Amino acid sequence: MEWLFRTDFDSTTTIALWSIAGVLVTTVVLFVYTMGLRFATVAGDRRRSRFLAAWRDVFAAAMLSRRAAENIELPTVSRDERVNLLEEWNRACSIVDGDAAENLMILARRTEIPALATTMLKKRRVSSKILATQTLGHLRDSKVRQRIHALVEHENTALSITAALALVAIDADFGITVVVPMIERRRDWPKNRVSVLLRMAGSERISEPLYRAIRSAEDDAKTYLLEFAWLIEAQVLDALVTDLLRENKDPGVINASLKLVSGFSGVPRIASLTQHPVSFVRMQAAKVLGRIGQQEHLSLLESMLDDREWWVRYRAAQSITSLPFLGPNELRRLRDRQEDRYAADMLQQTFAEAGLA
Amino acid sequence: MTLQDFVLTGQWVFLAYFVGINTGYLLQNVIAAHGIRKYLQTADQYEAENVFSSLDIPISLVVPAYNESVSIVTSVKAMLQLEYPQYELIVVNDGSTDDTLQKLIDEFGMQEFPEAYRARVESTEVRSVYRSTRIANLRVVDKVNGGSKADASNAGINACRYPLVCVVDADSVLQPDSLRRVVRPFLEDPTTVAVGGTVRIANGCTVRQGFLEKVGLPKNFLALVQVVEYLRAFLFGRMGWSPINGLLIISGAFGLFHKETLIEAGGYNPKAVGEDMELVLRLHRLMKKKRKPYRITFVPDPVCRTDAPENLKDLKGQRVRWQHGLGQALALNRSLITNPRGGAVSWVAIPFYMVFELFGPIIEVAGYFFILICGFMGWLSWPEAAIFLGLAVGLGVMLSTSAIMLEELSFGMYPRFRDLALLYFIAIVENFGFRQLTAIWRFQGLMRWLRGGEHKWESITRSSSLMDEAK
Repeated sequence: MEWLFRTDFDSTTTIALWSIAGVLVTTVVLFVYTMGLRFATVAGDRRRSRFLAAWRDVFAAAMLSRRAAENIELPTVSRDERVNLLEEWNRACSIVDGDAAENLMILARRTEIPALATTMLKKRRVSSKILATQTLGHLRDSKVRQRIHALVEHENTALSITAALALVAIDADFGITVVVPMIERRRDWPKNRVSVLLRMAGSERISEPLYRAIRSAEDDAKTYLLEFAWLIEAQVLDALVTDLLRENKDPGVINASLKLVSGFSGVPRIASLTQHPVSFVRMQAAKVLGRIGQQEHLSLLESMLDDREWWVRYRAAQSITSLPFLGPNELRRLRDRQEDRYAADMLQQTFAEAGLA
Repeated sequence: MTLQDFVLTGQWVFLAYFVGINTGYLLQNVIAAHGIRKYLQTADQYEAENVFSSLDIPISLVVPAYNESVSIVTSVKAMLQLEYPQYELIVVNDGSTDDTLQKLIDEFGMQEFPEAYRARVESTEVRSVYRSTRIANLRVVDKVNGGSKADASNAGINACRYPLVCVVDADSVLQPDSLRRVVRPFLEDPTTVAVGGTVRIANGCTVRQGFLEKVGLPKNFLALVQVVEYLRAFLFGRMGWSPINGLLIISGAFGLFHKETLIEAGGYNPKAVGEDMELVLRLHRLMKKKRKPYRITFVPDPVCRTDAPENLKDLKGQRVRWQHGLGQALALNRSLITNPRGGAVSWVAIPFYMVFELFGPIIEVAGYFFILICGFMGWLSWPEAAIFLGLAVGLGVMLSTSAIMLEELSFGMYPRFRDLALLYFIAIVENFGFRQLTAIWRFQGLMRWLRGGEHKWESITRSSSLMDEAK
């Protein structure tokens, strides 16, 4: 066993020996850290359960009655439970609106929530900043407007969109002037959050800035922004779509505009798009013609049944099948007169989908 | 060269390999830990805010099935209950010789449907398409057996109608929110073309109605070792490559793809043994050729569980197949290796995979023989050998400990302290016997690839958790 105590190893073996020591220490550190995490998780779960047991009824009562929000006795919040308080209050805010939301704000002002959120906003951790921003947005605290405004530009997607939402909640007029020009640039913002934000501001407030942003944008940006155009007021949207279909040649913009057609405006232009060289434009045109449902377009739709693209044939067949002036027998006759096998097959499929086969 | 020179050279080769592979793994660990921390910073917030709850990227879920009569109904029922606003489920019956198709027809009221099926990627002939009379988003594609999962997947891809395609094994146990989690990179970055998620072992877990009810560890030793292996493979093996866009594998058990890019790449290769890896490499190749920015990425969320082999025969078959697939996939996409614009894929990931994953077993197996021969001939310095063995085992344990730490940091799926203790125990004992055995199987897989071999549907003996569930 004397080799265990040898010291005359060559340099490579000595490095290996030191490496073993390093590996051992690292392994122990990782093990201890993992155990620490486990204990912290267990403790965190217990703390949250304790917190919820004390506060659940308080939140529920406050949501239901302003008097309760003003007078209910508040359980004490330990230092460790502060984050739980913010999280649970935000959770409650996100599921209610109207009087219940106002009552929760009254309740919050009786607690440390506003001060805590303002302090947390200064922390470095992104998750802390997000929680603080969300809280201050729900509180509609105008004192922090400028600091929230600065966070809208943050590179972290979740933080920046949360800040954008908070800004609009605090001051919708100001928020919209900041946020709308950013939408195209911040394509990392989840689209449904952007829609929520625009809806929150209201169509009368967003119509003009969004209209201007779309009109002045490059084609690619136009296409992207048009995805939110359904939130614009109807008459502004109608004018926008008609203009874009008339003026624009970019397939992406045409496609996005076609998706927004609701009435009869721009019908001649739409009919001409059934011959467009780009297949997704033809497909969208077929869909719109089906939606408009006019007899004069039947032959156009029929001619699209032998298009080289499956989706164009499919949408044309779907549109024909849904035309209100064609009954089952007329549809079958239309199918039987198709000389092209692809056209007949596609009609067969859409008939089956509509339960007509 | 004298025998002594040969032995000395051999020592340095093994040492260089040892240093290289462990440095690589350690770097992956660091990158993965950073990536997971970053991901988790906002994951809770995204969850709480329900950010992606009603987004409009519908998904087509493709489930290739061959002789899955035992579990297909339970699997489909579970997949129909996933938490996602809009998706369709396409089961592909690849000419099963059992009553897989009939079970689907009976259970879900499937009726033949005159679908204008279009073959955009290669697959064998489709006999018919069925549509459920009860569930609007369920279809079954019945096709002539193509002999591989890849062929069946392609038929499913052809029938897809939505922009994202998720290919899932019929026996996979999915997390109810798996689609919501795995779609996140597509929403955050429009250049994303493929996303993989963490696959875990189902053995030992309680599964009810196709859903995971309780997480547990298997009693079977081989399955237990694979639990630790999967933690290593996914939490730092994959997560370590993803931030540098060097991910080469998305597990065939669960992967989400941008459909048009998938079709442009030609779909799955029916002749590939490791069709999942081959596809990812081909996607890299396609995107490099197009010179467009793209991301192939990975989410650490455990999205799916799969059955692990519980006997040596199945395990050997799986490992031989994986190694064979690795060699074939790299060979089929060899143009990536020399691509000057290949980035991290060509300059880091592929060289690492070639040296340490593909040809590594040659060095490892040769190393074992080398030690045996040197020991037998009396050329071995036992103290030094013990030190290097200790270091190898220590590094192995450390990497596994790190993977367990990442698991605890991210998802903490094993809530009992007893389970954690068992994982640490396995992290130590797997170094004695199991690793050597897998090195030999991988060597055999490498030889099978070099000799050329065929691929067909392969199945493993199911663990009782999934079988019982299906009864």
